[in-house]
Amino acid sequence: MKCPETVRLLNAYVDEELEAAGVLAVEAHLRECARCRAREESLRALRSAVQRHTEFRVAPAALRNALQAEFGARKAAPVLPARRQFAWGAAALATLVLAAWGLQVVFERPGAAPARGAGKVVYHISSSQNAGAALRTLRNHLEAAPHTKVVVVAHNEGVDFLLRGARDESGELFATAVRQFKARGVDFRVCNNTLVRRRIDGGGILPEATLVPSGIAEIGRLQDSEGYAYMRM
Amino acid sequence: MSDAEKRARFERLVLPHLDAAYSLAAWLVRDDAQAEEAVQEACLRAFRYFGGLRGDDARPWLLGIVRNTCYSQLQRARQDGDPLQFEDEGCGEDAVAAGAVVSFPVNPEVAAIRQADRERVHESLRALPVEFREAVVLREIHGLSYREIAQACEVPIGTVMSRLARGRRLLQQALGEREQRGESKDTGT
Repeated sequence: MKCPETVRLLNAYVDEELEAAGVLAVEAHLRECARCRAREESLRALRSAVQRHTEFRVAPAALRNALQAEFGARKAAPVLPARRQFAWGAAALATLVLAAWGLQVVFERPGAAPARGAGKVVYHISSSQNAGAALRTLRNHLEAAPHTKVVVVAHNEGVDFLLRGARDESGELFATAVRQFKARGVDFRVCNNTLVRRRIDGGGILPEATLVPSGIAEIGRLQDSEGYAYMRM
Repeated sequence: MSDAEKRARFERLVLPHLDAAYSLAAWLVRDDAQAEEAVQEACLRAFRYFGGLRGDDARPWLLGIVRNTCYSQLQRARQDGDPLQFEDEGCGEDAVAAGAVVSFPVNPEVAAIRQADRERVHESLRALPVEFREAVVLREIHGLSYREIAQACEVPIGTVMSRLARGRRLLQQALGEREQRGESKDTGT
């Protein structure tokens, strides 16, 4: 065997992926060719350098918990990472602050009354700064009233938190929270007029969210035809 | 398969490979947040298409889904003109066919590779075009066989071999560069 064939097989040789005949041929050539021995040495040095300096990354706990909650056999409620739990006192406070800021909660139910014991609320998020607080409010809301059906309609700058890679104030991916809410039956709907106007590609939206032609029309429809209460964030 | 059975099977066969999935995604998209997202999306797809898994070894299958999800994400980032993503074109396998692999490592290159520190290895690996990077990562970090890499990347084994060879050669050059600069390169026989 000559150098070019040896070079072609050398990676498979050092990876021990070569069948016996190939191994014998490569070894025969290596015994007589210093250049190919240098190639082999370099390849082994490289493999060892890469293996020495790289390692498996451990998936973040929040991601693992969210996936376990969504796809695992035990459909346990997602466990929040410890450092997040300190924030809950603050979240309750944030709710109060939000209320003081003029958060409008309008429990009007025109049209058909909702089914007994199953409240329906549409959250209208139209500003990106309020998304984190809105989701904390939603979490508290669902803790207090777990059977509430909630639809979140995102409109204007409020769609930002549903974009891939978006993060909240503490640096956590919104996608994780959205996925958890989705698993609990919360719907996320995005105003397509907003996307067109802001030239955002629909592919950039988290897969948990669905597009509706107009956010405002959707909110109107939910209130008028389906008896949803309206909550502006 | 009932929903409970599907979940139990998914938990047993797929979820144990989460670290592997995250590691691959982190190397492919080169951003932790996007890697997290890619893994979430990949698991959603994996769950949806779980019926398509043959046998009990879900690892190459899952890594293939992660890989495809990462590619879609890179594609989207490219379309959006995200400046963090590099163009990975112009470094195809033609170069291998044309004999680019045949350059001959000289001893200082080997010495430099042995001395390369962690930062330099990471930097060089991150700079590889994505199709070479994935071959090297799947082989060296995930320990996949050629056959498993071929399955995950949906390419023939010959392509796996040439991508690995090309990726490693680029790494050898990058890591060996410092010492080798200025020396003549032999092109072999």
